[in-house]
Amino acid sequence: MQQIYNERINERIFFQELDNGLKVYIMLKKGYTKQFAIFATHFGSNDSKFVVPGDTEVTEVPDGVAHFLEHKMFEEEEGSIFEEFSRLGASANAYTNFTTTAYLFASTDNFYDNLKLLVKFVQNPYFTDENVEKEKGIIAQEIRMYQDDPNWRVYFNALEALYHVHPVRKDIAGTIESISQINKEILYKCYYTFYHPENMVLFAVGDIDLDKTLNVIRENMRREKKQGEIKRIYPEEPSSVYKKEVVQDMQVSLPLFNLAFKDTDVGVGGKNLLKKSLEIQISLEMAVGRSSDLYEKLYSEGLIDSTFGFDYSGEIDCGYSIIGGQSKDPFKVRDIILTSLKNREFLKSEDFERIKKKYIGKFLRTFNSVDSIAYSFINFYMKDIDLLDYLDVLYNISFEDVTNRLQNHLKEENSVISIVNPIKK
Amino acid sequence: MQLIKKPLGNGINLYIDTTDKFKTVTVNLYVHNQLAEEATKYALIPSVLKRGSLKIKTYKDMVKYLENLYGTTMTVSVYKKGERHLQQYRLELPQEEYIKENVLEGGVKFLKELVFNPLTEGDAFHKEYVLQEKEVHKNLIDSRINDKTKYAVDRCYEEMCKGEPFAIFELGKSEDLQFIDEKNLYEYYQKCINTLPIDIYVVGNVNPDYIEEIFRKYFAFQREDILNISSPNIYKEVKEVKYVRENLEVTQGKLTLGFRTNVLPNSEEYYALLVYSGVLGGGPFSKLFMNVREKASLAYYAYSRLERFKGLMVVSCGIEIENYNKALDIILKQLKEIEEGNIKDYELDSTKKALYTSLNSMKDNATSKSDYYLSQKIAGTSLDIDEFIKEIAKVTKEDVVEVSKKIKLDTVYFMTGKKEE
Repeated sequence: MQQIYNERINERIFFQELDNGLKVYIMLKKGYTKQFAIFATHFGSNDSKFVVPGDTEVTEVPDGVAHFLEHKMFEEEEGSIFEEFSRLGASANAYTNFTTTAYLFASTDNFYDNLKLLVKFVQNPYFTDENVEKEKGIIAQEIRMYQDDPNWRVYFNALEALYHVHPVRKDIAGTIESISQINKEILYKCYYTFYHPENMVLFAVGDIDLDKTLNVIRENMRREKKQGEIKRIYPEEPSSVYKKEVVQDMQVSLPLFNLAFKDTDVGVGGKNLLKKSLEIQISLEMAVGRSSDLYEKLYSEGLIDSTFGFDYSGEIDCGYSIIGGQSKDPFKVRDIILTSLKNREFLKSEDFERIKKKYIGKFLRTFNSVDSIAYSFINFYMKDIDLLDYLDVLYNISFEDVTNRLQNHLKEENSVISIVNPIKK
Repeated sequence: MQLIKKPLGNGINLYIDTTDKFKTVTVNLYVHNQLAEEATKYALIPSVLKRGSLKIKTYKDMVKYLENLYGTTMTVSVYKKGERHLQQYRLELPQEEYIKENVLEGGVKFLKELVFNPLTEGDAFHKEYVLQEKEVHKNLIDSRINDKTKYAVDRCYEEMCKGEPFAIFELGKSEDLQFIDEKNLYEYYQKCINTLPIDIYVVGNVNPDYIEEIFRKYFAFQREDILNISSPNIYKEVKEVKYVRENLEVTQGKLTLGFRTNVLPNSEEYYALLVYSGVLGGGPFSKLFMNVREKASLAYYAYSRLERFKGLMVVSCGIEIENYNKALDIILKQLKEIEEGNIKDYELDSTKKALYTSLNSMKDNATSKSDYYLSQKIAGTSLDIDEFIKEIAKVTKEDVVEVSKKIKLDTVYFMTGKKEE
């Protein structure tokens, strides 16, 4: 097996690509009680229009299909996969985001049996008219739960305002209306297109045996010829924002807001994307972080509270920063932040050096838990980023990089505001 | 691995757990109090302390100090375990070998400064900080309605335990805030830090002697008349089941059932109760998951959970509003099934294994470990994780059936929409 080693943190990741195209990564954590494995496909809610390898026609599927498929994978002719994992004492789960569907388990015993089960069940779809219909009720309640969650709503409303046509503006689970159109034929078609080993990755971590782990994976994988590239079709997204403002009324106590900035410098993955993400994170930290003058000002004026926060999310083909929280006057908060970002008086190199130190500690903490290692690994993998490159990329970022990035990204014209207001009596 | 206990002799106990697993050292300081009328004041204190200390006068400078310690994280929170009100101050510091710098002493010094050395003006906290934090605190209390899932469970317990201390919300009441000022809050704070029991847990790759030495250096001050915290009353006869409805602007109904378990946290039966709750709604193998979700497709989530220290259990699920009766029937039927002994080997076995996995997993998380030790102490037991697992292993189907007879439904709470017929 190949290996990637990082001396600074003394961690090593082993890698091998199987004949059928599956990429396998294994990390050993001596002394850990818990083992964790995650089997993921590069298929998320963004992939609703594509060309199946070998086809000439474009296939279009209803919104929410990747998530629906995730739910249905846990059912097999013999019964529920949850039941099998339960018998082995593992806790199994799955998630779907914009680009990825991932199946995972955490165990403290029977690791290899659990791993075998994971590898096998993800390769074994079983959809019937009846079991697909039954799932609609369950997913409808999942959608309703998110509909009633004001933090989720304010976030997705912001994405809807940022983007004209990019699928990232749509809810990951789809709508009750869109999932009603899903049937077993659609699920099988998506399954056979996106769940090919070539489009998948498996990551395992824990105090485990390297060869044994690799063998269990190899022996339980289907032999398959490579299928070639899946063509994913995304509409042409203009660089402008779709609308500046979006407001919804809900049962909340104070207005919630998301001030969002569209990243227009997209289309790169790998180290470049990692570098960009860190530059933006550091910019945000310097502008509105807990140690900034602006945070202190907004807080002491009673305009924000401890729910205030920010983040940058960067995919290969889209990205956005969000600053949010609750406030009695979201527009005023927006205006103050935008003015400060324009003046850029907060940019001082001593702050930059300190924030960089903070990010070193933050990265180290990732390696305390097998769960967070696995989640970070997969998240980075889908963007062609190598987790262990993080520190080197971070060390190489200069103050000028951050200044330039801030100037080009965190500006008024890229911004929208989404607000959830309390219902007026 | 053994937890080393080092009492500092003033009602402050230092506990050290040495492990080389982690890349950080985690310090958790807990202050114990009785959950009572002064809850709002007690809950407000950590927020005021965070605003500034005598030497580090502003929050901004505190954050800068920690950022310079390679992003040492500071988390301050308030919650309850039974009728015990806890303040938690947590620091997570990078391990020396990865940053080539020893930040431990700096961290301990900071913790002392944060909790015991607040910014004062005469016999009062800094006025402005108290004013601002009162406002923020009010917002936080009011915004509990934003998280409907947690709110439904909290409200069920509140209705159920009306008149008992447990009904007090962990952040207190917004009506109390008008009576709090920088003077009476400081006075109450003085009383708290001088008389409340404090436990500190340090988990990481540390030398216990060195840890003890630096804690003695900063934490060896005089304290006396340490408060003895009493255990809550857990027995209560239910004369009639309470039905509560709350109408909110929501699309999903949340059905929540509150039960009295009548089982003490340190009794033998507690382990059977834990297994009981697991079989009922502790995971995908449980009766609630199988019947409410998988068979009837009524909900996305349906679970049961114990409140060990007050002897309570809650069942909660999110459903279509019109399915209230259907869901309630199915839930009550599952309880009955257990009472009648209809527990499959698979259900019992999976529940136990799931409990082992979650207990064993705590060994890999420094704060979970601290919390586990703390819970042991509050429950009045002293089992390590492996011994706890052995107690679960001993539980039989008969034990589960036996304990099920003690569990009584007390309150049915339903969060529902505004457009009801």
